[in-house]
Amino acid sequence: MTAEAIQSALADITAETDPTLKHLKLASLVSAVFRERGIELVVVGGSAIEFYTEGAYTSGDIDLCVVSAAQSLTIRLRQEVMGLLKAQGGPRSWEVAGAYVDVLGAFENGARTPVRSIAAPYGVVKLSPVEELIVERVLISKYPQDYPPAAECAIKVIGAALRREIQVDWIEVKRIAGTVGYTNWREVNETIDEQAKALGQRSPYDSNE
Amino acid sequence: MIPMNEVMSYEDWLAGRKQRRLTGMRIAPEIIRRPSSSSDRRLRRLYNGERGLPFTPTEKL
Repeated sequence: MTAEAIQSALADITAETDPTLKHLKLASLVSAVFRERGIELVVVGGSAIEFYTEGAYTSGDIDLCVVSAAQSLTIRLRQEVMGLLKAQGGPRSWEVAGAYVDVLGAFENGARTPVRSIAAPYGVVKLSPVEELIVERVLISKYPQDYPPAAECAIKVIGAALRREIQVDWIEVKRIAGTVGYTNWREVNETIDEQAKALGQRSPYDSNE
Repeated sequence: MIPMNEVMSYEDWLAGRKQRRLTGMRIAPEIIRRPSSSSDRRLRRLYNGERGLPFTPTEKL
């Protein structure tokens, strides 16, 4: 991207008052400038769930991880790339265009399904696979203790998936929940079943499906 | 629908915003932003005491 294109994008993002749009545009711009250096980023956690669900969940920050890199993402390189965006702070968290961006390191991903992609205004934004997000949020909602914000987040993403607003591989959800990293299939199954009933539909794990 | 194997266009993603919000509201509160986190100090400094910008009302999506 040229300096003029970056400046124009920053002006647009700074002026954006819708938090979800502001975050998507900012994730798009940050992804684009890292992509030019051979580094692919993916939006993770609550930020990804916000883009999947419109769930009114996120605060004023976006979390990204490195999904692949053609070169080592050194602190100097991070500062150099984020400097193109007139970012303040670092080396893992910056203030840019009226929001915070965190680049957290390597992407921890146990899903076999692909990252999802949205062609946002300044470049493609990649989202953590929804299958693992479902399992992860259910885990956080129960362990080490009940945590209602994570439970509401899990419910919203499961609801969107059940209503086919997100294409989900339910077999993969079950597989991930059964891995040693989670071992929470019972809780995941119960949560999905409850939300299916709340939406007046059958669970994808209903034996008659 | 946000697809698994194709890149979703921005226009399609925008067009689905209201329906995604409405689905979530059927099963959970409309706004589920956490009341606090380890980022509180920096967020409240940037957003005039709040933790982020106010969410766009559903009817305006």
